[in-house]
Amino acid sequence: MRDKRTIAILVAVMITAGAAVLVGENMLISTFSPEIGAFEHELEPGDYFTIQDKDGKELEKTSRHVYAGDEFITEDNMHYRVEKVEGKTATAVLIGREEIAWDVYENEKGETVSASADKSLPVQQQPRNNVIAIYHTHSDESYIPTDGTESIPGEGGIFKVGNVFAEKLRSMGIEVVHDLRSHEPHDASAYQRSRRTASKLLSKDPAAIIDVHRDGIPDPDFYIDEISNVPISKMRLVVGRQNQNMQANYDFAKRLKAYSDEKYPGLVKGIYLAKGNYNQDLSPRSILVEAGTHTISRERAQKGVALFAETLPPVLGITGVPTPGGGETGEGTSGDAAAALFVIAALLLGTAIYLVISTGSIEGAVKKAKQFVTVEWANYLGRRKKE
Amino acid sequence: MTGYPIGTIALVIVAALIYFGLGQRALDRLYLTDKAALALIVAMILGGYIDIPIPFAGVDASVNVGGAVIPVALAVYVLTKAGTAKEWIRALLAAAVTAVVVFSVNRYVLDAKPWQTNTDLIDPIYLYPILAGLTAYIAGRSRRAAFIAATLGVLALDIVNYLSALFSGVRTTIAIGGAGIFDVIVLSGILAVGFAEIIGESRERLQGGPATRGRDKKLLAGLKNENYGGDREKDISIVNNPDRGDDDER
Repeated sequence: MRDKRTIAILVAVMITAGAAVLVGENMLISTFSPEIGAFEHELEPGDYFTIQDKDGKELEKTSRHVYAGDEFITEDNMHYRVEKVEGKTATAVLIGREEIAWDVYENEKGETVSASADKSLPVQQQPRNNVIAIYHTHSDESYIPTDGTESIPGEGGIFKVGNVFAEKLRSMGIEVVHDLRSHEPHDASAYQRSRRTASKLLSKDPAAIIDVHRDGIPDPDFYIDEISNVPISKMRLVVGRQNQNMQANYDFAKRLKAYSDEKYPGLVKGIYLAKGNYNQDLSPRSILVEAGTHTISRERAQKGVALFAETLPPVLGITGVPTPGGGETGEGTSGDAAAALFVIAALLLGTAIYLVISTGSIEGAVKKAKQFVTVEWANYLGRRKKE
Repeated sequence: MTGYPIGTIALVIVAALIYFGLGQRALDRLYLTDKAALALIVAMILGGYIDIPIPFAGVDASVNVGGAVIPVALAVYVLTKAGTAKEWIRALLAAAVTAVVVFSVNRYVLDAKPWQTNTDLIDPIYLYPILAGLTAYIAGRSRRAAFIAATLGVLALDIVNYLSALFSGVRTTIAIGGAGIFDVIVLSGILAVGFAEIIGESRERLQGGPATRGRDKKLLAGLKNENYGGDREKDISIVNNPDRGDDDER
């Protein structure tokens, strides 16, 4: 019998590592933060959180539940992390300034392409599937000034915002799959139901998949703006942190904001890195867009989302509009590689710890790992003798 | 995936292979051979593209082959193979308890305003499988019972949703198992076996081996270590016996 305490510690480490395999490093970090947990439940319209800095200056408002550890990028690319939450007021500290600028991505792309032009694989040179998928997890979300209410179960005004978004993309030559399925009721399981829709959409092999929502903060001024004298609503991008694709999707969001900042300054309000998954584990090119809030007119949201549509083709490198330089790099973003490496590292760590517990010793784990490579695969290849 | 950056393809393939690989290892423990488990994984991937519509007016409802039909059929198969009546009853009871726990958490914990309860640990996509896996293992106390309970328990949530949609008349979509192998039904079954494995292995390790007192001699014969009852090295015939208690050590 081995030392019980050592084994108990191993069990604890293994469970933690197992959790990391499942939902990524951010969950691991949040497990140790004083206020654990989060999910994609938005508050009732009208209930919202205010996030301020240490001097009490207001930074953000959101109808999403704010937890310590949440991070966000403001419109001017300042990166904050929420330190504490008291009631519905959160305090955030500045981490630094994000270099979100389209010319930076362009330079990065130019260097990469020229450096590896000869080595690039044929698959990189083929055109990206010219498809964008759109769906709505919260199918009731509506806009009071236009729709008369904030919620119309199954028939929300959000579908009409999605229609304008889709039409704008189509007018640019993009094939759009706009899914009109309803996912009522608007509860904690809505994302499980919309996961099925997202999964169906992904079978069309879209270049990106976008879940269009609206926020629920009561202050319309937070979202309204004018671009070229046209009244619009700003857009906010939400990236879920509890999945293996987080780095890739965060990078995607930053590129969208960079292009948008270049073309329509002020259109993208910021990026919120929320706890939760938002079905973003299904694709490394998935994003949640908050098209305004329930107290603005739907027309503003529609005008805003139409401008936002113009950012997608160039960032994704798909045809339709003249792309400054041709879109994404062939090698993918650093976020992709980081996410892939994390997944592999977590698997190796989890397996190693499991084997040690299972066999009771490191030697046993090594022996079993060898056995896996020899006996198990021999079995698959049909060479294992019948015993 | 043509035209995607290499990094993106690598990320998707690595994540999928790991998920399918772990899934195969989990199914492997359910009276299945390695090859049968692999075949089922492939069947669930392909079956994910097949939806069978349920023809009831007013509700857009369907059942997915990969995400619901195959895992539920497997659960029923495992149930019919259960060695004893006790195991059979335990597995069904565990399924009922799991259904109640998942439904209650969905209805009364998660649906409550988050800032009041602050009980949200992680995303429901992962929470349901974890709840189902833990409940199923505690109630069922075996990997097989855990699989049955988690699969059927999470399926029950869809049935409740379906019935409420049928009666409320609100437009919604009940695509049972619609995300195929990535659906919460499959995820729950696989995670439940994983939990049973981790908890079971750790417990046995802590107590210095599986509990043997009062166990059927036939069951003990399947155990590998000679101190526990059977001597595996001398009795090779049991190696391929899928009814053994711990068949993960082939």
